[in-house]
Amino acid sequence: MLGFLSTLQPADAGTGLYLIAPTVILILCVAGGVGTFLLLPGRKQSPRLGALLLIIAGLIFGLILFRTVVGQASSDTGPYFWIFSAIAVVGAIRVITHSRPVYSALYFVLTVFATAGLFILMYAEFIAAALVLIYAGAILITYVFVIMLAASAQTVGDRSPLAGLAECDIQSREPFTAACVGFALMGVLLFVIFDKAERLAQFNFTPPAAGLSADELVHGSTQSIGQYLFQNQMVNFELAGLILTVSMVGAIVIARRKVADINQRFEPSIETISANATPVNDDPRSIPVYGTTNPKQKSFPQT
Amino acid sequence: MQLLALQHYLAIGAILFVIGLIGFITRRNMIVIFLCTELMFQGVIINLVAFSRYTNNLAGQAFVIFILVIAASEASLALGLVILLFRTKNTLDADAWRELKW
Repeated sequence: MLGFLSTLQPADAGTGLYLIAPTVILILCVAGGVGTFLLLPGRKQSPRLGALLLIIAGLIFGLILFRTVVGQASSDTGPYFWIFSAIAVVGAIRVITHSRPVYSALYFVLTVFATAGLFILMYAEFIAAALVLIYAGAILITYVFVIMLAASAQTVGDRSPLAGLAECDIQSREPFTAACVGFALMGVLLFVIFDKAERLAQFNFTPPAAGLSADELVHGSTQSIGQYLFQNQMVNFELAGLILTVSMVGAIVIARRKVADINQRFEPSIETISANATPVNDDPRSIPVYGTTNPKQKSFPQT
Repeated sequence: MQLLALQHYLAIGAILFVIGLIGFITRRNMIVIFLCTELMFQGVIINLVAFSRYTNNLAGQAFVIFILVIAASEASLALGLVILLFRTKNTLDADAWRELKW
């Protein structure tokens, strides 16, 4: 196995362009797809096998990626990139495979924190702070509130893992097709990224801000984003504020709307013409009524 | 200063996007469906920030801020709609609104 992996060395390490053979990507994507299919909520699935498959596929993929940086002199991010991306991917998989929506939301918070860590590694600390504040602080709290508002009645004392869950949370829809489609897309994306990536190499040729030290990058990032926003994107910035206001008003209007009882909504009113009461005549001047099953029915019967 | 390649970040972004897509297709709870769209946003945001970093161009990070704005407004509107739909049919199942397909 390790000898097999050693054939996956970066083909051209000098240019910073890393290549992974398409067959490896294909095998990994198939393993990941089967694992995700087994992990998705359903009655006949076996989650342990799926988790094992996913962990193995992820470890192999991480190992292949890791081999591409091992040859380099020093990586400025250390082990943090691997830790953060592993947390992000595991959290994302738990978001879509956990059958309780509250836990899905909490695992999504985990993914958001790991993503913010990745942004800090990329010297985008303002984006990281905004992500934690807005996503983990505002949006996810709203999600958790809505989940609690819409919760079904929990059966007290039932300790079985599926207790109190609705049918729509227990059984997923088309897990096989979705896993096939999704991992086919992932395979194509990874193929483009790792095998047909000649154009990506020009980004790697020039390390970002080569003249700047890390301190200058860190201290200048937020300031330069602010300058960029207010110099180049002024109209968009104002439009963003407008969109936020409009969506706030819209959300209040939508959520406060009175919901009619669904049993009384379709009761016919007095003015409704029912089909049986209308005698059929063949007065040519009368207007036919549309929408009834009686083809000869007239709207103003000459009784 | 040696950096990780751009491809590492792009791979993580692609993986997050695809996981969100699979969740969007398979899950039937409407709240989880919208949660999966946020997951897809995460993948896109990682791509944008990585390109912004590796091309030394701030447009990507500014665009991420606008994406956050859109995500916040989308979440508020979508959750308002989910509450409305839940009060109408008393279930969160997206299949309960199957007649909207036609």
